[in-house]
Amino acid sequence: MSQNKIHPDQKYIDGLAANDSVVIEMIYKKFAPKAVLFITNNSGDKDQAQDVIQEVLILLFNQAKAKTLQLTCPFDAYFFLLCKRRWLNELKKSSNKGVTIYENVVSINESAHELIAQAEEFDEKQKLFDTMFLKLGEKCQEVLKLSFTLKSMEEVAQKLNVTYGYVRKKKSLCVGQLTEWIQEAKNFNSLKNN
Amino acid sequence: MNEERYILFDQYLQGELTVDEKNNFEKQLNEDAEFASAFESFKEMHFQLENKFGQEAEREIFAENLTRISDKYFNNKKTKVVSLKPWYFAVAASIAIMFGLFFFDYNHYPNFEDYNHPESAYFTERGVSEETLKKAEDNFNGKRYEKAIPLFESILKENNSPEIRYFYGISLLQVGKYVKAEDIFKELETGNSAYKEKAKWNLALSKLKQGKYAECKEILQTISQDYEDYDEVERLLEELE
Repeated sequence: MSQNKIHPDQKYIDGLAANDSVVIEMIYKKFAPKAVLFITNNSGDKDQAQDVIQEVLILLFNQAKAKTLQLTCPFDAYFFLLCKRRWLNELKKSSNKGVTIYENVVSINESAHELIAQAEEFDEKQKLFDTMFLKLGEKCQEVLKLSFTLKSMEEVAQKLNVTYGYVRKKKSLCVGQLTEWIQEAKNFNSLKNN
Repeated sequence: MNEERYILFDQYLQGELTVDEKNNFEKQLNEDAEFASAFESFKEMHFQLENKFGQEAEREIFAENLTRISDKYFNNKKTKVVSLKPWYFAVAASIAIMFGLFFFDYNHYPNFEDYNHPESAYFTERGVSEETLKKAEDNFNGKRYEKAIPLFESILKENNSPEIRYFYGISLLQVGKYVKAEDIFKELETGNSAYKEKAKWNLALSKLKQGKYAECKEILQTISQDYEDYDEVERLLEELE
């Protein structure tokens, strides 16, 4: 964990994790306008801005829930950069032509960039996980879902009408399979990037 | 795929190994780097699954709430910019009439509680006892104002910062100590701190709570449009009309 001091704006992250409507509304009121302006100034419309902001807030929620987000810079900078980068990615995806970006110079904040990299890595990881999970067989998916939702493996066995031994083994193997696939994908990506 | 290994990993994570097996396992973790790294990945996957499915319900509730707030925010913005179509007025008017029929004369005056949303305190002051500060913060955020008040008073002896005074004032307002609360807000209002406009808003709320609507309105009219919650100010002013 970084040695940096946690910024008081961590309250926004905690509020998101707690699904606190007052905090969420405040985030929209205080921080959304800047992101909306950036997107609408750069060939986007309001609806697209709304989607980008919503995706970023869901990412922050997931990160906060996984307890991996400790804000060391102002929320303002962090949130804006995430929205901005997400929108630029969208633009890149939708057109191969060069895109001109209109923006005011934003203050570059070291710890913000570090956090952005973490958030994007987290996001990538989740996407990879989701893709690989869907590659699993139906039975595997079902066993895993139940294993991590229900309280005990006995309950899982009962629900699926199979023996305890079977679900235990199945669960271990399915987690194993998923681990291997993700490991392979990661190795492949690092080869590709090197 | 090394099936036995995964079964072993899972048993270890579930705490199902005997003492001997456990010791063996940990020994292998220390000695065999490949084994350790495979276990790390397995453990991480376990965590990710827990995080994904263990909180699925919560995540859905969050997404729903988020969509609601987001729609509200963006629609609000739209109606401010886009001019209303005539049929819109008709619909709005008929809804207003229906509401009017239901609620006519019941809610003549705005209600203090509708506007009373004290923000949470996050103190980072230095030079005062951190313990007292934390206690005051917890009591304030937990709406235990009676308990927060004496704590604020003792902090203020050491550190007379606008932030502490502001939250002290809010606490006083919540428990109905209007004179003291208003003194504090008036003081903050003449200062030049970040709490200047907020103090005015709370002064207005204090008047509202006491039913002094005319005074409330007068104060509201002095609040700068740059105040972060100016739409609340507008809403209350409208209600006071």
